[in-house]
Amino acid sequence: MRFSILLLVLYRKLKKASEKNLRFKKYIATMRARILIKTTDGRRGRLFLFDRGRISSRGGGDHAGFDVALVWSDAGTAFRVMSAASDEASFLAAAGGKLKVEGMAYFAQWFTDGVKLIL
Amino acid sequence: MARIYGGHLVAKYLKEVERVEMAFGLSGGHIEQILDGFTEYGIRAIDVRHEQAAAMMAHAWSIYTGNPGVCLVTAGPGFTNALTGIVNAHLDNAPLLVLCGRSPIRDDLRGALQEMNQMDMVKPVVKWAATCHDPARIPEYLATAFRHAMQGRPGPVFLELPPDILNAKVPGEIAPGLAGGTRKFTCHPGDRALKRAAELINGAKKPIFLGGSGVGFSRSDQDLRAFVEKAGIPFLLLNNGRGVLPDSHPLCVIDTGFAGMTLGLSRADVIIAAGIRFNWTLQFGGIFPEAKVVRIDVDPHEIDRNRSADVGLPGDVASVLEHMLPHVEQRDHTGWITDLRNASRAFMDSELRQRESPSEPIHPIRLVAQVQEAAGEEALYVVDGGDTTYFGLVGLRSRERAGVLTPTGNLFGCLGTGIPYAIAAKLARPDKQVVVLNGDGSFGFNAMEFDTAVRHNIPFVCVINNDCAWGMIKHGQELTLGKERLQCSELGRRHYEKMVEGLGGYGEFVTRDEQIVPALKRAMAANKPSCINVLTDPTVTSPATIMFEQALKVE
Repeated sequence: MRFSILLLVLYRKLKKASEKNLRFKKYIATMRARILIKTTDGRRGRLFLFDRGRISSRGGGDHAGFDVALVWSDAGTAFRVMSAASDEASFLAAAGGKLKVEGMAYFAQWFTDGVKLIL
Repeated sequence: MARIYGGHLVAKYLKEVERVEMAFGLSGGHIEQILDGFTEYGIRAIDVRHEQAAAMMAHAWSIYTGNPGVCLVTAGPGFTNALTGIVNAHLDNAPLLVLCGRSPIRDDLRGALQEMNQMDMVKPVVKWAATCHDPARIPEYLATAFRHAMQGRPGPVFLELPPDILNAKVPGEIAPGLAGGTRKFTCHPGDRALKRAAELINGAKKPIFLGGSGVGFSRSDQDLRAFVEKAGIPFLLLNNGRGVLPDSHPLCVIDTGFAGMTLGLSRADVIIAAGIRFNWTLQFGGIFPEAKVVRIDVDPHEIDRNRSADVGLPGDVASVLEHMLPHVEQRDHTGWITDLRNASRAFMDSELRQRESPSEPIHPIRLVAQVQEAAGEEALYVVDGGDTTYFGLVGLRSRERAGVLTPTGNLFGCLGTGIPYAIAAKLARPDKQVVVLNGDGSFGFNAMEFDTAVRHNIPFVCVINNDCAWGMIKHGQELTLGKERLQCSELGRRHYEKMVEGLGGYGEFVTRDEQIVPALKRAMAANKPSCINVLTDPTVTSPATIMFEQALKVE
């Protein structure tokens, strides 16, 4: 539950930043990307849609159309690592098999860098 | 002493002093006496169909052999055609010697055939350029050209030779003092800087050695091996440094791909960057904002470029590593390397599965995996294209020096280098199987060089990753403009293999996964210049496309 709320809060922050934060607006201005963050079982997650400056989102982890999916082993780990907002924590989660990336990893990096702009 | 033509003296110097065995060029009236000199003194001339290919072949020759590549082009259009290849060598720091014809000095300003100001055009893109006005000084000018090409940071040099001196007769002796040819000097910083660097390296928890072309040109195999193995440091060798130590070395993390490079560099606490520039491909150094940086470069101006180094070590890579080694302590970074490999695999999961799984249409990374299976780690690979370069770079493995060669470390982005580089590779290493992975777009630039390869009996295999498009541009346009607004980025379904057959080579057209390896084996067995034209999935975008688009996002 906490993970789903975290994703929703993240979406709202991104949405607000897409309207108010000049640096972030520029960052997303030309990008089209579908970023899915979910748990392995697909029960929890959220799809973030970037379309040349506009952001929308859909709840749930079961979405087929994505450019990249960050797949967490479980919601608890996902919440702990994501709320820490630490590159090192994400790296160690990936090294420990708790996080896997499906699709094009570049988009994951792009998304992470974008999130850093608003935190 | 017999008197000989200035053009013959050029060849005599090349052969007897610099021991040049081969030159790349295209004939022309202005340079006829040099060509005749090649006959006289036994220099093999590889004559091409477009001068840019000659420059590219000579450039690649320098990478494979470590000696300057010699390119001979005629005046005017011969010169302008070669310019792209010269710029390519300039941005790749390749020691390319361009010998160029010129309209007669006698007829300057009178509208002579092919009269143009070549010098002012070429000066910004070479290390050194001169016109020789005195046939007796030809050896001196050539010696100067070779020294400039090789000393310090290597690079292309340009010598303009007008017919006034090439057709004049001079005494044939080589100038005294030049008989030994170009010497290569090495240099390294003093102990204080070396110790400071070693302290950083000894204290590092997550170090990475990042080597570029400077590692290759300094011939640093032994010193690099001793350094990384003692310090226990994982390494990435890029550009013309690739293969100085084999990709299969236990400390080599090239297998972690693009994701591994990004992750590794961003998580490292100390980066030893040797002979590599922090250009756009490394986000101008921004990819590792928190790491301490030890920077080794033969050009001191490079040390703090784009990103201040914590310790700067000006000098050639081999010499610096050799002298730093006694100060470096034995370390074991197995835990860090394991974490890096595991994390990278988590990020590369999809790509790894695509490599292993047959697909229809064929995924480009699957094609690369099949090419690797057919040709193995002993082959020399050349990659050429946009997305194709990405897939080749991350998917191909070689045990050989410059075993996976890309165009200019992706700096000039010069398409069309693949076939010329492959021809040079085979000439430099005739014992090796040479495979070029070409995009269908990039194939077109120098495809006529298959004729060169057929005439000179230079077998190699060209595998075309044929997505019927300028893929990187097309996918970039799809991302930024929309699929409905594609412009000038699509090509047709073309039988390039038939063109190669028409020129006397071997060709096959492949559309299914199971056809790839058998077709490649037949091509290798044919022992001819060969083209395997493989239709691949036109919808696949590489991460390089996204990176390319982002890099051009300027408002």
